[in-house]
Amino acid sequence: MSSTLVARVLVPALVLSSLPAWAGTVFVTSQQGAQLARVEEGRVTGGTAVASAPATVAAGGGLVFLSHPDGHAITVADAATGAVLRRLPYGGQAFGLAVPADGRSLFVADWSGNRVDRLSVEDGTVEASAETGRDPAHLVLDRAGRLFVADRESHRVSVFDGARMTRLATIPVGTAPFALALSPDERRLYVGNVRSNDVTVIDTGSLTALATVPAGAMPYGLAVSPDGARIFVTNQHAGTVTVLDAASLTIQARIGVGRYPEGIALLDGKAYVANWFSDTVSVIDLATLKEVARLPVAEGPRSVAVGSTQGGAP
Amino acid sequence: MRLSLLVLPLALAATAALAHGPTPQKVSQSITIKASPDAVWKVAGDFAGIGRWHPAVAKAEGSGSKDGGSRTVTFKNGGALTESLDEYKPEEHSYSYRMSDPDLKALPVSSYSATFTVSPDGDGSKVEWMGRFYRGDTGNEPPENLSDEAGREAMNGFFSEGLKGLKAAVEGGKAK
Repeated sequence: MSSTLVARVLVPALVLSSLPAWAGTVFVTSQQGAQLARVEEGRVTGGTAVASAPATVAAGGGLVFLSHPDGHAITVADAATGAVLRRLPYGGQAFGLAVPADGRSLFVADWSGNRVDRLSVEDGTVEASAETGRDPAHLVLDRAGRLFVADRESHRVSVFDGARMTRLATIPVGTAPFALALSPDERRLYVGNVRSNDVTVIDTGSLTALATVPAGAMPYGLAVSPDGARIFVTNQHAGTVTVLDAASLTIQARIGVGRYPEGIALLDGKAYVANWFSDTVSVIDLATLKEVARLPVAEGPRSVAVGSTQGGAP
Repeated sequence: MRLSLLVLPLALAATAALAHGPTPQKVSQSITIKASPDAVWKVAGDFAGIGRWHPAVAKAEGSGSKDGGSRTVTFKNGGALTESLDEYKPEEHSYSYRMSDPDLKALPVSSYSATFTVSPDGDGSKVEWMGRFYRGDTGNEPPENLSDEAGREAMNGFFSEGLKGLKAAVEGGKAK
């Protein structure tokens, strides 16, 4: 999910000019700690208190969005400063988020409502909706405007035209799909299946599944390297990140991280992993595939997203 | 028609499987035991042997202590849960497992996973039992008995009571 979000981040030039020249920011949400942390150049550089129990974070259009499944709300923050700008009321149980390139709207998965809504980022007005499968989890949007939804309890991925919110395809995958990530060229969508412990590879041209391959115990987060060659999978129950080779779809490496790892995002040759139980973010060097740091953050980090001031992929 | 007949049993199986809500909760308990990790593991490492030391368990049956192995635990309160091993690591005295279908009578939670680890602690051992669960009613207005708080109380109680039972079984030299 993170790699696609990266491509959509365009911070306005006005904001850019007043900021130091860092390559990008990794945003981390802590559930119990109710915080949005900023990680820059491998260290925690700031934290903002937010409403209780944020689940997913997504960045785009100079904004950062946090879903609050139990709070009927979405928080909107400024990507440059991390400051909370406003709260969007939301009728359902907001979980997965996706941000279009224009930053004017936001796609939200309603976990218990079995639907996906497109909201105005100004006031949360629902612009359009579509019915998904059961318990829609994470979302991803491609550059063509197609929205992919992991229908967790229906064991399939739903594909919609994001503008019209009409269904384009329904693709059976493994058991309980949860996390999604597009390859940088967007020809493949990787789907982590939490109960079958594997990853399904979808061809985004034909909208069919190409393969389903073993990953680890309870895959919960996915990211793809900028060259598309490697897929990183967090395994919640194993406390590891597995590295899959995109060509052979075999496991190349297993990297130990903290307990109950969830979200993962890549930036500048590093992977950042939210360790929910350990209250840390693991930093993995992508060249050596070793964990090089564990950054303490507020209790219960779940989700990570990259916001780049350069407006390009890492 | 032939396709739908094939798909139907799968669909039914899917709805019976665990569905859980979006906000997980932590559970974590530990205890020290005056015995070597090997001695503790001899009792606690048998995944389906939990009935020998957990005071709240009436009986347990299982398919073996190995990756993918499972146990069905019948509670004294009448509920029953089936759990399966994600990872069984005897060399590290540790295993991780997760619940299959919920039984709110056994524990008021919709889903959980946990890790059980025995490690050296001075002359004895430390046993850690930690995990993650979702409340019994995952909607936005859960009744009191299926709330996050009810889940925390039940899960922490189950783990802490179990560890006390394990300590008594190991230090007393006999299982219950």
